[in-house]
Amino acid sequence: MKESDILRVIEEDILRIVGERKKRVLLRFIRTKIKVSYPFLSKAIESLEEAGLICIEKESIRLTEKGRNEAEDIVQKHLVLEKYFRENRSQRKAHQAAHLLEHYVSREVMNNLKKIFTLKKEGVPLIEFGLKKEGLITDILSSDYKLFERLISMGILPGEAIEVIHKIPNGVIVEIKNKKIVLDRSIAKEIRVLDVGI
Amino acid sequence: MKNFKILLIGQPNVGKSSLLNALVGPKVVVSNYPGTTVEITQAEKVFDDKKVEFVDTPGIYSISDRSEEEKVTEKALFQEEVDRAIIIADASSLERGLYLVLQILEAEIPAVIALNFVEEAQKKGIKIDSQNLENILNIPVIPINPLTGKGISDLIDSLLRTKEEAEVFRVEYDDHVEKAINEISCLIKATSIPKRFIAIRVLEGDEDFYGYLEDERIIEEVKRSLTEHPRVAEDISITRYGTASFIAEKVTQIVSVEAEREGLGERIDSVLLHNIWGPFTTGLFLLAIFGILLYLGNLMQDFLMGLTESLLSTFGTAEHSIIVMILVQGLTGVAAGISIALPYVFLFYLFMGLLEDIGLLSRFIVNAERFLKKLGLPGKAFIPLALGLGCTVPAIRATRVLMSEKEQFRTASFFVFVPCSSRIAIIMGIVGFYGGIRLSFYVLATSLVAGLVWAFVVKKVVHIKMERLLLELPPYRRPLIKNVFAKSWIRMQDFVYIVIPLLALGGIAYAIFDTLRLTEVLVKPLAPITAWLGLPKLTAIPLTFGFLQKDLTGAMLLSVLGNEISSALTPLQIYTFGVAATIGIPCVIALGMLVAEFGFKRALFLVGISIGYGVLFAGLAWRIISVLF
Repeated sequence: MKESDILRVIEEDILRIVGERKKRVLLRFIRTKIKVSYPFLSKAIESLEEAGLICIEKESIRLTEKGRNEAEDIVQKHLVLEKYFRENRSQRKAHQAAHLLEHYVSREVMNNLKKIFTLKKEGVPLIEFGLKKEGLITDILSSDYKLFERLISMGILPGEAIEVIHKIPNGVIVEIKNKKIVLDRSIAKEIRVLDVGI
Repeated sequence: MKNFKILLIGQPNVGKSSLLNALVGPKVVVSNYPGTTVEITQAEKVFDDKKVEFVDTPGIYSISDRSEEEKVTEKALFQEEVDRAIIIADASSLERGLYLVLQILEAEIPAVIALNFVEEAQKKGIKIDSQNLENILNIPVIPINPLTGKGISDLIDSLLRTKEEAEVFRVEYDDHVEKAINEISCLIKATSIPKRFIAIRVLEGDEDFYGYLEDERIIEEVKRSLTEHPRVAEDISITRYGTASFIAEKVTQIVSVEAEREGLGERIDSVLLHNIWGPFTTGLFLLAIFGILLYLGNLMQDFLMGLTESLLSTFGTAEHSIIVMILVQGLTGVAAGISIALPYVFLFYLFMGLLEDIGLLSRFIVNAERFLKKLGLPGKAFIPLALGLGCTVPAIRATRVLMSEKEQFRTASFFVFVPCSSRIAIIMGIVGFYGGIRLSFYVLATSLVAGLVWAFVVKKVVHIKMERLLLELPPYRRPLIKNVFAKSWIRMQDFVYIVIPLLALGGIAYAIFDTLRLTEVLVKPLAPITAWLGLPKLTAIPLTFGFLQKDLTGAMLLSVLGNEISSALTPLQIYTFGVAATIGIPCVIALGMLVAEFGFKRALFLVGISIGYGVLFAGLAWRIISVLF
């Protein structure tokens, strides 16, 4: 990872930690939470201050109005992702997976996941999903990891928009990210899709 | 001169073959819809003072051990000294290409990204900032268009530029994953492959990489801890994909374009993916193709046989000398080989290549899957099965398009019933000529029934894990004709150099057996079988020695029974002979190919079973018919 990316990740982590506590946070506390070398940390704090997202008061950090908004976004992201991974993982692992992905999942996918999260609705199996309307993938239930990896490398994963363009006796043909993919019936049964009316 | 080895890697339909064509010319090219070949194609060219060897790999979505294609690519990447990798990415779905890129970077193979279909993406309103992508990943990114040649020289330049040790982008995983990577890294034997990459592959459950761990005990330990944390592999791929789409989003600019009106492709798809019209048009297409091949094949055979005969007539009267016999049978073999090679192999692959490059082949596979699944076969099996109507030998090889060896072997077992052109010649030429065309259709129908019975019994008894349908349907494109030609040529060369000499040898072997009167040795021991078949004892000769060279079966029958077959055999006997000669692994060359693909044991097993099944079925069939009529 490049330095600028590491910095961004650290910055976002700082915002999240301060944001979660909703008040001033001691620098020392942040240092116990984020395990990077001190120069990195101080660089990140510096750049956050420059961007007007935080104020530094003595030994502690407080969020500015702008910083609070930003932090809320990040915390939201984190919550959505954590909810996502909690289903199959232990709490700690869900937290960690969310931790990492919040920096990386694209904004579009993130917004979609958020939408799914706030709707609090379960998706239907792709095989039962209506024709010619866009839905969001909410989950992939397959326990076959190799299949899972293949689906992901083809761009089929939670949060992505998907449209069923044909139904055939042996499966469905979907459009996802401008590509047409044919999925076996049994695979289509394992993919959950939610109609969010977009 | 320095030898430089460069690997071309990319997803299916991303334009790898066109790029190789643009790089080295049409000499050697193989294009690739998900899996038409798992062979690796190579081509060499000299640039300045460097001899560069390009290696084309099968299209893959990711590095893993899931399919044969992926295994082959993995081998090409790690078992040979690779200087550079060109990763071809589709600009309109960048994040999917980046997934592969990130894996290659994890393997620390110096890579260059060739960004293809840039114009096509722009039409869809997708603009990629390749400079920015280059900055993020810290590897060269070059937009190309193999059809116009744009960017090709830039690509070559950046490939040959001296390697500067640059810190490339690396995916950072979750804390617990990173910890596990570090732990496993310490248990790895010394090797040229980066330890981090091996550790990740191990965590992803790639069994090919277990071998790099220090010893059995550690492998067991790692396996056990993997079953305790089954989601590690998932975490890794999600993070990798997340990183890929994060980068893609950063460098992609979406501008809205006018909504595309329903294009020609959509209209074609609404027919080809239709419940009824889809399979119908697919069947019609294949029938038409096969009709053309059969017609041309016969034409070629007649012409070549005529040529052989006129050549032999110049030898005059020394008809029964062993030399002439050997020559006759040898040349018959060559003639048969050429008349199979040109239409059935070359033209077949030409048609398949066109269908594939246009984008029709994957639609056909989807339609074929509906019916083949009922027989316990995967959709792609229709490619080798259709080729099997031409010649069983290349068809057995073509089973390599299938995902697993089990699927391959099961499909190969169906060549017992799919009559090749030589067997069709027996059915039409012997059975049809001496017993009437109706009789030849009965023979075909019987082998169809035998095949269906076989399919359902095998499906019931042997359960294999079938590859589920998961296939990208590429957009329709104009094919690059020279590409298709080159590919068909390669396929035919294989056949010409191996199969034709063997066909000639088979003929010669028969000539020797025959003149030494060794053929008759078999008549007596095989008498119970001919009795079961209700055939004259002497028919054992064409039935068994046909195995050496199937195209000689007819001539052998004539030579043992005399020219008046219609009086020597009843119509029912002609029918039985046809069935017995059709069902089974047709010839010794097909057996050889089976051995090459599946090993001695399984090849002999299949041949043994198929002979038993064929004889049993033929004997039952004529008894049932004689009771009914």
